[in-house]
Amino acid sequence: MSDFKVHQRDGEDVSVIELKGYLDAHTAPDLENAFQKLLTEKKYNIVVNCRDLSYISSAGLGVFMAYVEDVRNNKGDIKLSNMSPKVYNVFDLLGFPILYEIYKDEKEAVVKFHGAQTK
Amino acid sequence: MTRLTRILLIGTPVILLPLIYIHDVIRVMVELDISVVNFLRELFIFAAYISLGFFIDNRRRHLKQGLPKEIGRLLIAVVLLELFLAGCSRFLPENFNGAGLKHAAFGTLVLTIAVIASSVIATVELFIVRDLLFFKKNKTAKRNYRLYLAMLSAACVITLPMFSLGDTWASKILFALAVIMIIAISFRQSWIVYLSKREKIYTIIYSGFLFLALIGMEVFFSQSATVGEFLSQYSEPLHTFIKLNNTLGIVYFGITGITTLFHLPTTDVFERKQSELHSLHNLSRLATQVFDFQELVNTVAQMTTEVCDARSVWLELLTTDEITGVMSIDVAVRKNITQTEIDALTNENEHVRSLLLDTHKTLLIDDIWSDRRTKHLKAKGVLRSSLMMAPLVSHQKLIGVLYATKEVENAFDQDDIDVMTTFADNVSIAIENSRLIARSLERERLHQEMMVAQRMQKRLLPQSLPVLPQVQLAASSESSFEVGGDYYDIFPLADNNYGIIIGDVSGKGVSAAFYMAEVKGIFLSLSQLCSTPRELLLRANRSLLESLEKNAFISVIYSVLDVSNATLTLARAGHCPAVFLSEEHSELIRSTGLGLGLATDEIFSNATEERCLPLKPNDVCLLYTDGIVEARNSEGEEFGYERLLQAAQQCKHLPAEEIKEAVLSSVRTFLGVNPYNDDVTLVVVKWLGT
Repeated sequence: MSDFKVHQRDGEDVSVIELKGYLDAHTAPDLENAFQKLLTEKKYNIVVNCRDLSYISSAGLGVFMAYVEDVRNNKGDIKLSNMSPKVYNVFDLLGFPILYEIYKDEKEAVVKFHGAQTK
Repeated sequence: MTRLTRILLIGTPVILLPLIYIHDVIRVMVELDISVVNFLRELFIFAAYISLGFFIDNRRRHLKQGLPKEIGRLLIAVVLLELFLAGCSRFLPENFNGAGLKHAAFGTLVLTIAVIASSVIATVELFIVRDLLFFKKNKTAKRNYRLYLAMLSAACVITLPMFSLGDTWASKILFALAVIMIIAISFRQSWIVYLSKREKIYTIIYSGFLFLALIGMEVFFSQSATVGEFLSQYSEPLHTFIKLNNTLGIVYFGITGITTLFHLPTTDVFERKQSELHSLHNLSRLATQVFDFQELVNTVAQMTTEVCDARSVWLELLTTDEITGVMSIDVAVRKNITQTEIDALTNENEHVRSLLLDTHKTLLIDDIWSDRRTKHLKAKGVLRSSLMMAPLVSHQKLIGVLYATKEVENAFDQDDIDVMTTFADNVSIAIENSRLIARSLERERLHQEMMVAQRMQKRLLPQSLPVLPQVQLAASSESSFEVGGDYYDIFPLADNNYGIIIGDVSGKGVSAAFYMAEVKGIFLSLSQLCSTPRELLLRANRSLLESLEKNAFISVIYSVLDVSNATLTLARAGHCPAVFLSEEHSELIRSTGLGLGLATDEIFSNATEERCLPLKPNDVCLLYTDGIVEARNSEGEEFGYERLLQAAQQCKHLPAEEIKEAVLSSVRTFLGVNPYNDDVTLVVVKWLGT
């Protein structure tokens, strides 16, 4: 059940986190650790790629809430991408699209960061 | 042995011995030699002394402890008897022929008493030797003892006057055979080994003197005309009995004395082995003390001192905190050593414990001052001593170290290391068990607390729902853990309105349960102040934003049922959309909205909209938590919105209570053997019409 993996890929100035499997109360600490690591590495431009994320629970959503403030205070952002319709529905129900930028594709999200920097 | 037997045993000699005495006095006065009377006399003597023997044996069995002491008591008795006998031969004439009745009666009485005393002592000697022989019984000892008894009986019987064999070769041969048996049994002295040093010294003294005293008695019997003569006249078998048993005493205790003397130098070693063995046997005591940790470690200290005869002992326990992973080291118990001394020895930087980390083997430092590993401690003022350290290992992990020191160097040997290692192994097991028990008790306590929390939380949900002619209400909530984060409530408002709320706190368990209680408080107070659901959610968000943790949020639907106007107005804050079923269609009421505690006032206010649904008779509204739509079967498939709509569609014509049951049962059927993995709450509102 608790098959969950976090993989971090660092681009030039954007870090991509790939999520895979079920993100629930049991696996949420894995994602917390990943965010914590990015914060200590001072990487605040974060894209979370949800292509292989098959399920997210309220505890999983809570992880994003826990870190987004710190990231934004450091002029960074957490952007989300590649969500399956089912996962998007969970984000949507809670109103996350109002709080987060959600993109169809990871590249789009990365490009958005570049745009923000060049401005 | 019954009381009756005892009375019989003592009664027989008490009656018979005076009879014999009277006969003897008469015989002194009048020449008597009737064979029937003589035969009867021997028979009586036999009966009297046999009974007396059994009686003594019976009484003696109760005082079997302290072997050297018994030898000592026997010695005193023998010496007293000798004094008595000496008195007899000094003051009594050789015979009473023509001495007159008074003198004869007195003399015979004194001598009869002397004979009785001698035979009692001879019997006791026999029994003491028997007890010593039977110490840690073995077959040979028992057989030899029986053989001796047989020889003894034969040698006695053959001297009966009616056989007229008293002084023949036959009787001498039997006597010699008995003596051979005496020698045979006298080499079984195994009991000596188990005596303590002190007891051994006593044994040497007592048995040495007893040996001399018994020889003295024998010499006395053969030399003194008065006593010796009287004894052989009194009864020749009894004479032989006394003589043989005295010989037994002389030989046996003679050998005892010498053997004990030889055993004396090895006593210390033996005693130590004995105490090691004793302590190892006592290890089982550890197992019974696992319920009281302090008692357990105290026993460990006590027993460590015993097993290796250490001067000071202390036990250090390494505990790794389960949550933080930080290792703490505590001295759980110490004996004959101060904490300061321990600190000096186990200096932080170059801790002697580190020597054990790789090998997990008992380590011996013969001399703290000269061993290269601990030399540096000399400068710290550590006294010269030998140090032994035994690791306590559980699951290949060092959980503690048992230390033992002696104040001289080279004080521990290989035996100590072996014993200490075995001991430490058992201590590890006992400590591990003790911890496991403590942990499971703690878990049990927490479980009890959780059950209390569960009861408390159940009371936060409505105990009964309003009963109205226009609307049917049904609701239920089930937690997948002891406590959960789901919440629903239905309460009357002003103007014939009813507030209906359903909520789900993010996360599970205790934190969710606390937030749920908070939510109830906030909603109850706000529901009386706010006129619209949207306004209430706004204000609830404002107060929750401050109190919730960053990663926590709450999804709710708050709806107001206006009975007078037949409307249901609802606002959704991130919660699963309500299912609305009318005659014609079914719909998920997905008004926009944000979960409570996610965003500031402005964002929240912009995001949250309100929907007002006019109600027609038989319209049904289902409010539920994600436990229903996210219920997953063993194939990993979710129940989902489609199935929920279908299930509701099929039963919407039923009363509210039955709709609730039908929907829940279709979820359960879908789950199959899988349990719910989340809290499940369902509220059904069925409008009947005004």
